[in-house]
Amino acid sequence: MIAALALTVAVAVAVFLFARRVWLLARLLRMGHAPGIARDDRVPERLRQEVVVVLGQRKLLERLVPGLMHAFIFWAFIVLFPAIPIAMIAIVDADAAPHWGWYEALANVFCVLALIGVATAFYIRKVVRPRRFEGSHLGEADLILAWIASIVTTLLLYHGTESQVWAWAHVLLILGFLVYLPYSKHLHIATAAVNVYFGRTRARGRLEPLRFDDPDVPEEEMRFGIGTVEDLTWKQMMDAMSCTECGRCQDACPAYATGKTLSPKLVIMGVRDHLFAEGPKALAAETYEGPAVAESGQLEEMVWDCVTCGACVQACPVNIEQIDHILDLRRHLVMVESRFPSEAEPMLRDVERQANPWGKPQAERAAWTEGLDVRVLEPGDPVPEYLYWVGCAASFDERARETARSTAKLLTAAGVDFAILGALEACTGDPARRMGNEFVFQAYAEQNVATLGEAGVTKIVASCPHCFNTLAHEYPDFGGSYEVVHHTELLASLVREGRLSPTASEEQITYHDSCYLARHNDVRAQPRELAAAVGQPVEMERREERTFCCGAGGAHMWMEERGGAINEERVREAAETGASTLAVACPFCTVMLDDGVKSSGRDLRVVDVATLLAESID
Amino acid sequence: MTVLVFVEHAAGEPDELSLQALAFALDFAGGNGVDAVLIGGADAASDLPVGTAHVAELDGGYAPQAWARAIAQLEPSVLVAAGSERGNEVLAHAAVMTGGALAANCVAAAPGDPAEVTRMRWGGSLLEEARIHGPVKLMTVAPHAVAPATAAGDPAVAPFTPELRDEDLVARVVERVDTSTGGLSLAEAPVVVSGGRGVGSPEGFAPLEELAGMLGGVVGCSRAVTMAGWRSHTDQVGQTGTKISPELYIPCGISGATQHMAGCKGAKKLLAINSDPEAPIMATADYAVIGDVAEIVPAITAELRRVSG
Repeated sequence: MIAALALTVAVAVAVFLFARRVWLLARLLRMGHAPGIARDDRVPERLRQEVVVVLGQRKLLERLVPGLMHAFIFWAFIVLFPAIPIAMIAIVDADAAPHWGWYEALANVFCVLALIGVATAFYIRKVVRPRRFEGSHLGEADLILAWIASIVTTLLLYHGTESQVWAWAHVLLILGFLVYLPYSKHLHIATAAVNVYFGRTRARGRLEPLRFDDPDVPEEEMRFGIGTVEDLTWKQMMDAMSCTECGRCQDACPAYATGKTLSPKLVIMGVRDHLFAEGPKALAAETYEGPAVAESGQLEEMVWDCVTCGACVQACPVNIEQIDHILDLRRHLVMVESRFPSEAEPMLRDVERQANPWGKPQAERAAWTEGLDVRVLEPGDPVPEYLYWVGCAASFDERARETARSTAKLLTAAGVDFAILGALEACTGDPARRMGNEFVFQAYAEQNVATLGEAGVTKIVASCPHCFNTLAHEYPDFGGSYEVVHHTELLASLVREGRLSPTASEEQITYHDSCYLARHNDVRAQPRELAAAVGQPVEMERREERTFCCGAGGAHMWMEERGGAINEERVREAAETGASTLAVACPFCTVMLDDGVKSSGRDLRVVDVATLLAESID
Repeated sequence: MTVLVFVEHAAGEPDELSLQALAFALDFAGGNGVDAVLIGGADAASDLPVGTAHVAELDGGYAPQAWARAIAQLEPSVLVAAGSERGNEVLAHAAVMTGGALAANCVAAAPGDPAEVTRMRWGGSLLEEARIHGPVKLMTVAPHAVAPATAAGDPAVAPFTPELRDEDLVARVVERVDTSTGGLSLAEAPVVVSGGRGVGSPEGFAPLEELAGMLGGVVGCSRAVTMAGWRSHTDQVGQTGTKISPELYIPCGISGATQHMAGCKGAKKLLAINSDPEAPIMATADYAVIGDVAEIVPAITAELRRVSG
C-alpha cells in the first residue's frame, strides 16, 4: 500500500514537471509563424519518411558504426517500453506483475544491444573523437548515455533477481529521465519523429517564399526573415528542438571544412539557445522588443559563409533544414538592417538595374549566338517545343558561353525545335534571393513568369542548375509552372534515342556534381551517362547527393571567401582521381573549378559535359 | 518644438548639403522655429534663415564625438543634418548621447509623434516609410533630395563653450596629408596597370609598379592575386573590389573573369598583356600583346624611357 502511494506520488511529480515544460514548448510552437510552404500535404510520402528515416534509421545508418550504435539504443527504447508498466506493477504487487518469458528474453537481448550501443557511443566520443562533435555539449551527452546505461542495467538486474529494489531503481531512473528530457538536447526523442514528418518531401532546393505583398496576411504577421524570436516559424522551432548536436551537418559542410566560421550545427544550436532564452519573454510580454536572433553566438558572421549547397540538410538524420534558418537570417539582415558583406552590393545593384549580376547590357544577351543558327523569340512567334533558358552566366561569361554554344549546336544537330528569349530573358533573381534580397527576387519572378506566359512557353531546357531550380521549383509559387529539364537530361535522352551519336575516347573524365542538380534536384544519372558516352568516367569520393560544393553557391560567386578555398579543395579531390578532364554541368562550377585548377597549378581541363559531347560528335 | 539643424561649413560659407538639410528642416517645422548649430565659423552663420545660430567654440578639425556633445548640450527635440559622411557620423553619436532615434537618408518627413519619414535604402533604389518614436528625433537628409534654402536671414548668433568629457576627445586631428599631391586612388587614377596570377609572384609586380609610375598611374590586381595573398584587397579591381574608370587600363596576366571585367568596364581603352591568346579578356581588349608579362612590361618601360629621353 505504501509502495503504491509512493509510486503514485513519484509518477505525479514527474509527470507534472514534464508537462509544465512541455506546455511551455507547445506555447512557443504556437507562437511560431506558418512556414512559407505546405507542411501537411502528401501524407503517404510523409508516412513513408517516418518508416524509412525514423523507424529504419536510414540516414543514421549511412555511417555504419555510429548508425548501428544509435539504432540499437533507439530500437531498445521501443522494445523496452512495455517494461515500464510491468515494473510499476511489480512495485505495487510483485505477484501481479506478468512474467512473459518470451518478452523478458527479447527485452534482455535489447538491453544488451543498448549497452553495446552506449559502450560504442563512449568509444566514439572518448577515443575516436571525430571533429563533428566540436562545439557540441559533450558533458551533457555523457550524462545522457550514462543514464541510458543505468536504465537498461537496472532492468536486467530486475529480470535477473526479480527484486523490487531494482524495479524501483528502474522506474525512478525512467521518471527522472522523463523530467530531464525536455530540458536537454535529448528532447529529440520526442520531437525528431515529428520534425521528420514535416520536412520537405520533394524539391529540396525550393526556398520558402516570403509573403509581403499578400493582402490576406495582416501586417503584424508579416515577416521579413528572422529578426527576433517572434519571427521564427514553428518548423524552425521544431528544428531547433530536434537537434541533438550529432554534428553530421558540420562534417558535411564545405564552409566548415575550409576553416570558415560557419557550422550548420552551431546555427541550429544558436537558434535553439536564443529560442529558450527569449521565447518565454516574448510569450510574457505585451509588445516584445528583444535582441535579434542574429546576435546569438556568432550567427551574423556565420550566415554569410553558407553556399546553400544543402549538404547539411542532406546529412541531418532528423530532417532539420538549416538553409531555411540561414536564408531567413540573411533576409532580415539584408532587407531590414542593410547589413551584409559590402562586396556583394554591386551584384545586388546590377541584378536590380541591369537584370544580370555583372551589370552587362541586356542587348548583348544573345551575343553568344553569333555564327550559330539560334532562333530568338519575337512577340507573336510560334511557340517552340523547348524554350532554351540560357541564364546570365552562359549569356555573358566568356568561359560559360562555350556551354551555351555547345548546347545550341547539339540541339540543332538532333533536330530539336528550340528558341531563346534573347534580351527578353532576365536574371531569374536567384543570386539576389540567395543573398537574402527577396524583394528583388520576387520582382524578377513576376516579370519572367509574365514573359514566359506571353510567349506561351510550356517546356524549358536550362543550362544553369540555379536557373533550373528556380524555374522548376520556385516560380510555381509565383504563378509559373513549366516542365523544366536541365540540358544534361535533355542531351542524355537525345543520346539514348540515337538522335546524337557520340564516340567514347580513351580520356579519363571525372564528373563533379553540382549541388543544385545532384542534391537539390536528383539529377545524377544523366550527366554520368553523357560522361560515359564520350570518355572513361572515374568517380570522386564525394559524389552524387554527397557532392562537395565548388564554392559559388548562395551568392558566393560575388563574395570574397574567408578561410581556405573551397574550389581548391574540390580540385585537389578531382586531381587525385588521375583524370585529365574535370567535367561539370553548371556555369558557376566551371568558373570556380577552373580558377581552382589555375590557382593550385594542376593540369586538368574543366569543361561542361555539353561541350565534351559536342566535341565527340564533331 | 524647435528644430535644430547641424550646419557644416567651409571657408566662411555654409555647405550646400547643409543648406538642403536646412530647407528640409524649415519645411518640417512649417517655416519657423528653426535654429542652427555650427562648430566654429560665426561668419558662415551670419545670414542663415534661422532664429538663433548657436556657434560652439571648438576646434573644427575633426572631433565628431566632441561636436555631438556640444549639440546634445543644446537639448534639441528634433535634430537635422545633411546626409553627408560627417553629418551621419555626428548624428549617430548625438543619437546615443541624447537617447534619441535616428533615421538616416530621409527625403521627406512630417512632424508628429511619431514623426513619419520617407527615407532612401539600397542606394536610392528603395524608398522606405518609417516612423520615429520618442522624445528626441534625429534625421539626416539624403543629398540632393530637396532644394537648398536660399533665403537670407538675420539670426541671433549665440557663441557657447561646450563642456566636454575625456571620452569625447578620443578622436582628434594629428596631421593632415593632402591627397591631391600624394598617392592617387585606384578608383580615380587615369591609368591603372593591373597584375593577375600570370605575374607569378608578389615580386613580379615590381615592373608593373615601374610602368604605372612612368604613366602617372597606379597598380591594381585581380581577385586571384588577393586570394593568393600577394597584394591587399584594397588593390583589387573587380566587382567585389574597386570599380575603376581610367583612360587606359593595362591588365597583365589577367584572364578576364566576368567578375573582374565588371569592375573595369568603365575603362576608356584596354591594353591586355597575356600569354594566352584564347583568354576571355582578348574579347574586350582594344589592344593586346600576346606574350610573357615578365618580358613585355619591362620592354614597354624601356621603350617609354627611350622615347621620353
